[in-house]
Amino acid sequence: MKKITAYSRITDSLVILNGKPCEITFSCEPGPGRLAEIYRFLESGYPKFFKMDNLSKAGFLASEMVLRSLHYDMESPDESTAVVFANRSSSLDNDKRFQETISREDYFPSPAVFVYTLPNIVTGEVAIRNKILGETSFFILESFDAEKMMIFVDWAFASAGTRRVLCGWTEYLDGHCDVLVMMVEKESDQGVDYNKQNINNIYIT
Amino acid sequence: METLILDLKKQIIEALNLEDITPDDIDTNAPLFVEGLGLDSIDALELIVLMEKQYGIKLEDPGKSKEIFRSVATMADYISKNRKK
Repeated sequence: MKKITAYSRITDSLVILNGKPCEITFSCEPGPGRLAEIYRFLESGYPKFFKMDNLSKAGFLASEMVLRSLHYDMESPDESTAVVFANRSSSLDNDKRFQETISREDYFPSPAVFVYTLPNIVTGEVAIRNKILGETSFFILESFDAEKMMIFVDWAFASAGTRRVLCGWTEYLDGHCDVLVMMVEKESDQGVDYNKQNINNIYIT
Repeated sequence: METLILDLKKQIIEALNLEDITPDDIDTNAPLFVEGLGLDSIDALELIVLMEKQYGIKLEDPGKSKEIFRSVATMADYISKNRKK
């Protein structure tokens, strides 16, 4: 029976790991500064974090929390884990930032900003960080929808060899963050049952 | 030249979002890519943009890039000889 074995939630006002709030003292308003504060709290030691767009940063941090809580081996290549994220605003937060760089007459487009003008880059960043070699995919939805997300996760499990799926909702736009990342395992006796009601309950915490 | 090297280090830190790194942390003669700062191909593109934006230099011969971007010292040397602003 599939189980949700760990989850994290990052919003403008909360950082939660497996139902428990993380005791982070924020000095910044919600937005990029606060994401950096969470990064420092986690002591991730991954300088590439600072080159990411805000969507990738948010997804990276939530994934980092989940995988660490499961003592995930991020040093060994892993083909049995897939990454499936979804959101509403795609990469619009970064797209707007890139547009600003090209809207001036004497414009200098930034390659480092341009490379994040796709939402699925966040799944790649998480996969690279953790040596995950399974399927990665990203979907755009009107709003958070547990039922549709379960369909996407089941597609990932249909891939031969997939035993767990790191999945969730990674929404970031204009300084506002709404992220839920879960680990769903195909066969586990830990965690809570993987069903629509439990996913919705976790999301609204 | 020392002023140019210091300015260049500050501009590299800002352009590449090298958080928690100060100009003093960057060895002027150390390789910028793979070793040293460990920059990647996207960073290389940012450095090309930096050269044009800050110093008006357009790199027209890609073959020279490897030597120009070998270190901060080689970048500064190229800038001092070719800058338009």
